[in-house]
Amino acid sequence: MHLTDDQLNEYLDDALPKRARAESHLSTCAECTARLSALRSLAAEIESLPEESLARNLAPAVTRRLTSPAAAYSGFPRWLTLTTVLQTAAATVLIASVAPFILEAASTFIPALQAPPVMETILEAQRVWTAWLDALSQFQWPSPPELPASLGLSNFYILLALAGTALAWLVGNGLLLRSQIKQ
Amino acid sequence: MDAPTDRDLILRARRGEVEAYGELVTRHQAGVFNVCYRILHERGEAEDLSQETFLRAHSRLNTFDVNRPFGPWIRRVAANLCLNHLESLKPETEFDEERDAAEGAGPEAVVEVRERGEQIRAALASLPARFRVVIELRHYQGLSYDEISAELNIPLSDVKSHLFRARKLLAEKLHAPD
Repeated sequence: MHLTDDQLNEYLDDALPKRARAESHLSTCAECTARLSALRSLAAEIESLPEESLARNLAPAVTRRLTSPAAAYSGFPRWLTLTTVLQTAAATVLIASVAPFILEAASTFIPALQAPPVMETILEAQRVWTAWLDALSQFQWPSPPELPASLGLSNFYILLALAGTALAWLVGNGLLLRSQIKQ
Repeated sequence: MDAPTDRDLILRARRGEVEAYGELVTRHQAGVFNVCYRILHERGEAEDLSQETFLRAHSRLNTFDVNRPFGPWIRRVAANLCLNHLESLKPETEFDEERDAAEGAGPEAVVEVRERGEQIRAALASLPARFRVVIELRHYQGLSYDEISAELNIPLSDVKSHLFRARKLLAEKLHAPD
């Protein structure tokens, strides 16, 4: 029985477990010897590929990038991005706000469940937050003084002009920043 | 005065001496570039990935065992980086036979060698990304099946299957009748 392609490949790579048996077969089988020879020629051909020379020295570019201010961040793990930090902060706040409610609901089913000391602080913070939200919901903007009717301008047009100015300011800054980033 | 060894340069680079790392780059850039060029088959891209390889390696320099040779390690980093790069390109880029034609002309023998080299490069470039990298690690970097398996984090059976299929495809391409 002839050697399989896998066995010949493993033989070529010195990774065939029963090498002696394969050698014994190869000594008597011209067909397998020819297949192994073809495989050896292919390997030699692949490895004959000449090395190419590099057109430019990479060292200056690498050292420049290592000394650039942006490289200062390269010491951080790759996953530690601004988004990750913000998401973690948001998740922490969310968990801290929800935890007292969950604990309270859970305590109705498990009477022995007591809030740990740290929960008291969170509950207090939550009370302050709720009070602040209540105050905010009752807040009313002071009504702007009425303009003299002789000017013929309504508050709507003034707000429209302010919004337009703000938009122009934002767009203008955006254009300026874009040209800086390109540099 | 004797030139500093790679070990000396690595230790100095770890202490923040960028020039020492620059010297390491100069020493190993040709090897790294050839790894990238064999896998990517595009000069500009190979140069960019070579540069990225050195930057990536610099950030991991503290994990490198200075008692081992730097060259094989950085070439393995390059192979992995190229694989990640190729796998991030979707769909996989097709090889353009005319894109990287041999430059210039020389004596007939040189032209022949160059043409054969181009055929081998073209055949390599036509392989799926993982096959290319397995061929690179086995034939050009001399890694064993187990070492390739550990390097690419794939089962041993996949290493064998990728390597044997890659060889079969290369034989078909290189020995196909014109």
